[in-house]
Amino acid sequence: MACALAWAWQANVAAADESNATLWWSLRPLTSPALPQLDATLARQVRTPPDAFLLAKLAQIKTHKAGFAPEADRRTLLRRLSLDLTGLPPTPQEVRAFVADPAADAYEKQVERLLASPRYGERWARHWLDTIHFADTHGFEHDALRTNAWRYRDYVIGAMNRDTPWPRFIREQLAADVFFPAEPALAAALGFLGAGPYDQSTASTAPRTFDYLDRDDLVTQTLSAFASSTIHCARCHDHKFDPIPKEDYYALQAVFAGVSKGDLPFEESAALVQQRRHWQSLLAAADARNAAVLLAQEYAPVISRWETTLGSNATAWHELAVESAGSSGGATLKVEPDGAITSGGTRPEKDTYTVTGVSKLAKIGALRLEVLAAPSLPKMGPGRQDNGNLHLTEFEAHTLASGAANGTKLKMRRATADFNQEGWSITHALDGNNGTAWGIYPRVGESHVAVFELEAPVPLVEGSRLRVVLHQWHGGGHLIGRFRLSVTQATNATADPVPPQVAAALRRTPENRAPEERLALAAWALRGHALAELARLPGPAKVYAAVPGMAPKPVHVLSRGDIDKPGALAEPGALSAIRALPGRFTLSNPQSEAARRAALADWLAHAQNPLSWRSIVNRVWHFHFGSGLCDTPNDFGRMGGIPSHPELLDWLANDLREGGGALKPLHRRIVLSAAYRQSGEGSAALVAADPENRLLGRMNRPRLDAEQFRDAVLSVSGRLDTAMGGPGIAYFKTSPGQQITPKLDYTAFDWDAPGAARRSIYRVVWRGIPDPFMEALDFPDAALLQPTRPFSASALQALVLFNNDFVLRMSEHFAARVEAQVPDLPGRVAAAVGQALLRDPTAGELQALSAYARQHGLAAMCRVLFNGNEFLFVD
Amino acid sequence: MNSSLWTESGGRRAAHSRREFLHRAGAGFAGLAVADLLAREGAAPAAHHAPKVRRIIQLFMTGGVSQMDTYDYKPALERLHGQKLGPSEKPEGFTGMPGALMKSPFAFARHGQCGRWVSSVFPEQARLVDDMAFLMAMTSKTNVHGPGTYMMNSGQLLPGFPCLGAWVSYGLGRLTDNLPTFVVLPDARGLPYNQTGTFSAGFLPAVHQGTLIHAGATAAVPDLFARGQFKFATRAADRDGMALLAGLNRKHAQAHRADSRLDARIASYELAARMQLSAPEVFNLEGESEATRRAYGLDQKVTEDFGRRCLLARRLVERGTRFVQVWSGPQGASGNWDNHGSIPGELPPIAASVDRPIAGLLRDLKARGLMGDTLVVWTTEFGRTPFAQGSVGRDHNGGTFVTWLAGAGIKAGSTVGQSDEWGYQSAEDKTYCYDLHATLLHLMGLDHERLTMRHGGIDRRLTDVHGQVIKDVLA
Repeated sequence: MACALAWAWQANVAAADESNATLWWSLRPLTSPALPQLDATLARQVRTPPDAFLLAKLAQIKTHKAGFAPEADRRTLLRRLSLDLTGLPPTPQEVRAFVADPAADAYEKQVERLLASPRYGERWARHWLDTIHFADTHGFEHDALRTNAWRYRDYVIGAMNRDTPWPRFIREQLAADVFFPAEPALAAALGFLGAGPYDQSTASTAPRTFDYLDRDDLVTQTLSAFASSTIHCARCHDHKFDPIPKEDYYALQAVFAGVSKGDLPFEESAALVQQRRHWQSLLAAADARNAAVLLAQEYAPVISRWETTLGSNATAWHELAVESAGSSGGATLKVEPDGAITSGGTRPEKDTYTVTGVSKLAKIGALRLEVLAAPSLPKMGPGRQDNGNLHLTEFEAHTLASGAANGTKLKMRRATADFNQEGWSITHALDGNNGTAWGIYPRVGESHVAVFELEAPVPLVEGSRLRVVLHQWHGGGHLIGRFRLSVTQATNATADPVPPQVAAALRRTPENRAPEERLALAAWALRGHALAELARLPGPAKVYAAVPGMAPKPVHVLSRGDIDKPGALAEPGALSAIRALPGRFTLSNPQSEAARRAALADWLAHAQNPLSWRSIVNRVWHFHFGSGLCDTPNDFGRMGGIPSHPELLDWLANDLREGGGALKPLHRRIVLSAAYRQSGEGSAALVAADPENRLLGRMNRPRLDAEQFRDAVLSVSGRLDTAMGGPGIAYFKTSPGQQITPKLDYTAFDWDAPGAARRSIYRVVWRGIPDPFMEALDFPDAALLQPTRPFSASALQALVLFNNDFVLRMSEHFAARVEAQVPDLPGRVAAAVGQALLRDPTAGELQALSAYARQHGLAAMCRVLFNGNEFLFVD
Repeated sequence: MNSSLWTESGGRRAAHSRREFLHRAGAGFAGLAVADLLAREGAAPAAHHAPKVRRIIQLFMTGGVSQMDTYDYKPALERLHGQKLGPSEKPEGFTGMPGALMKSPFAFARHGQCGRWVSSVFPEQARLVDDMAFLMAMTSKTNVHGPGTYMMNSGQLLPGFPCLGAWVSYGLGRLTDNLPTFVVLPDARGLPYNQTGTFSAGFLPAVHQGTLIHAGATAAVPDLFARGQFKFATRAADRDGMALLAGLNRKHAQAHRADSRLDARIASYELAARMQLSAPEVFNLEGESEATRRAYGLDQKVTEDFGRRCLLARRLVERGTRFVQVWSGPQGASGNWDNHGSIPGELPPIAASVDRPIAGLLRDLKARGLMGDTLVVWTTEFGRTPFAQGSVGRDHNGGTFVTWLAGAGIKAGSTVGQSDEWGYQSAEDKTYCYDLHATLLHLMGLDHERLTMRHGGIDRRLTDVHGQVIKDVLA
């Protein structure tokens, strides 16, 4: 793997050793603590190494000698494990199978099954998306939809399912373009750079302010997410509590000085890249008349095929036998013996030529207009303007029945030309717009051709005539000087106008062609071939990330964060307090913004960066237990929490690092531990001694988060759609707003519509207009980095869970499901309880629920089950 | 608990406030009162000092009210009208190059005992200036709507921070169980800048965010009841279902002792049932007299929407909602106070839509004795330029603008601050949102420096590291 940093960190390490003791805990190098000694009773409780650290600390509580709480029953265990690893509850069948499994490794098998499930990535990706405030819209005033943001969401799901090692995950998201050029689809990972909000209004009216603020958000996001560092506190002054000078902060701003949020096109496979590159280079060779490429043996069959099929069409043009040619502006149109028409005499400002003629063809598929160079014209023409140019505003063709004065206007499919002046394409001659036209400047002094294909071939009845009208309304004498009209039967819609040199070559047999004619023909044929092949390739995918190819803007160290008080120019770098790593980057190409990102990725992913390893281990612990070993997962500074078990944190971080950084082994360490498998009930003495449960003498009891609740309801109702990936599902109707931001109506969604039952991670998250249902269950404000989900209980939450359309419609589906399974009411009630709570109802519950269902219906009872604390909390 | 087990010496980890401790209780643990989890107020135990104000109605004029065409009379502009004396480059956040100085097209006159100058666009409010205290040199750090709207609400230019209403809810809790604590009444035509981000609870618990109520909608409080298409969800099924649920949840809680979150959820359904009983009554204006409806402008199309929401605001605070925001104008190019195109054309209609309702609200609050503990705040995100934009419009200007306060704890008729001769920048006794917010919290019994939440390594305050209580407007 490429390492964009060049430095000798070994020397730094030696210098750093002496003073580590005075460093803040999170900045010290990682240690690899030995497992603590335990007395024999406690030692017997150890299942995985983390247990030893936890038990050692628990043993210090004088009033509690029992170590961990007893292991939870299997139903509880599987529900906990399944919701934790996949975000979905187990089915009753899965619980029954696990309860009945006599194998010694019954639990381990469940762990492996769930870790291998694609549902795992869908669950754990959501944690990461929270952490980096990903959403599908800009936020702020102009809260527009980012139609390509979902590619990043799918990338994260995939990366989790592939168990991408953490250092690689860092490098992919910050600089996949630098590190993995051979894997173009990884560009989707760069969606990390575009995850946060975008203030379009400030970007346009206060761009300097915007640049600093937008980069501030990205610096904060990156350092919080990967290093749990509160670098943003050093924007106006040196960090008050942590060893972060403000120069470090601006060094990080300089890293992102070339990042500007926007759509990034990318190829979905390396094969596609290769193909596109191949045809583009052939195109370039054709334009450069590169004989070595064009006349190479491999292309000979392509050229000869073109000559016998498409090329033959070029000879099938039939000149129109002109009967009359007139100018509306007063020019003289003279028909020459070779069929060409020359415009002479007065040169009007504007003109319209009308040419009428006949053809022997029985039908026509296209018309050709050749504008011809001639010595009599200014600059050799083919236009009459002083510079030799012309402007064809509109092209019309009509068929006239024998003797008729008015004809039928022919419908055109498209127009092509051998050359288009920039901004003056031949398509303008068919656009019905009198303000646009075709031009050929600066390629004056040579002939050009334009072909107009009919929508469908038109039969020419005996005696009928063709009338062609050439409107030239641009003014300034931009008129055609000499031209010829032809028709063809060819229906081939791809018929390209063939340059005269190629046409001349085609009129000769191959052996009679001059070398330059042969080359011109090869170039022409291969150019068309390359264009056709390129058109057949799927277009590049896009991800909302960063606009490619931006040069880094200068970043200054600002005095008190004031853009009007710029100080020294900032050099790209990171924190100077990690002594094993350089605080500033030495880059071979400092003006490459990609190199800057790559250097930061290397810095973060480095084996000697203690923040990164501790950060991810702590996050994973947090999501398993509901609280991190350090309970402020985004802040390992002096304002943050102190780890409850610093040795355990280091042991896990070291273990992850030694193992290469894959997260699934870390999950195993944790979910296979005795600590994780405990019951949630602790003795009164333990609860009194450790009410916050920092020592984990019992299991925590999380409430389902918004996604878990919604997905669990779908699953229990039998509706869950496990389709993966793709554009987000909008659980709302949109209508135009006052400006860019539309109005969203979350109450207008039909919960039986396609996509309604997809997992919640696939919904469109509108940053500024969040889903009230998800919000009621503490789905966080996506303006903010959200390393943890809070808990709230309120009347409004209760109303949403009780009355929202989603819950009510799923209650109906749930009722219908059990009604189809079981014939009698008590049986249905029992089945519903089994499905939702994964147990049998007690006699009392059965009686109460049945009585209620009898009176108000089964759906009403299902609604009650969905609202129950037993459904909402995970033991 | 032996805290030394994990507290390292030298750590700055101060004991968290009780409020903050509750927020961090996501994983669940013992010993918390249910009332705390539900953010319920007892006898305002959370207040730092005795409050003068128990509830606030904030009237927010979206788009940036032109101060020199309303309350900030600038005779110098009459003299300098048409002269190009402004900046020669486009300042950050202006949407165009500043034009020549432009006098107000409206007539100004002095009003009340205090002699306040008010333009002809506010004839009704002009009669009440002796009840108001004016901040004449409010200043913003931005000239852009989105950040400006954030700043006046959350004290920050960026999204993700709790707004004033959320901080008040977090700091003081509820006055009633029957209604939401913080209610937002947006313009019927649409949301203000930043959509609902403007009413966010940020990193505070979601329970503190503004409850968005569309005053004209059939279901004002979302999900108060099931929709009619769900035939099984009858009122009887609701009532019996909640009773059944309470029974199941209580049994569950008995088996899972020492987790007050379970009890908090049980209590939340009891509160929900009470809200179902009381909320519909609040939104039914039938009981209001004809005279009251007229006073708020409900009888005229131009004032009907804002007037209805002012009346609702009164009904809400009367019944215990602590903080109500009434918005005038949606975001966007028209129908609000963002008068880029034409001050004479665009300002009078939007001014007329709020003038009578605001006067009606102030008089009604007074008549009902609610002014004894209610505060009304009139504000906007920034002011406008003294320079013309186009021919007769004005551009954004955070340099100076006007805010007024009326009601409990306020020294009526007082004035703080002054803008410069043109009304371009604040000149004397400049105040920022920080000072306004510090003052409002102070009136509610909260010390803005002590109302904090630790987030991302910082003890966050509504007033960031700024803010001085503006003593000169206090009674």
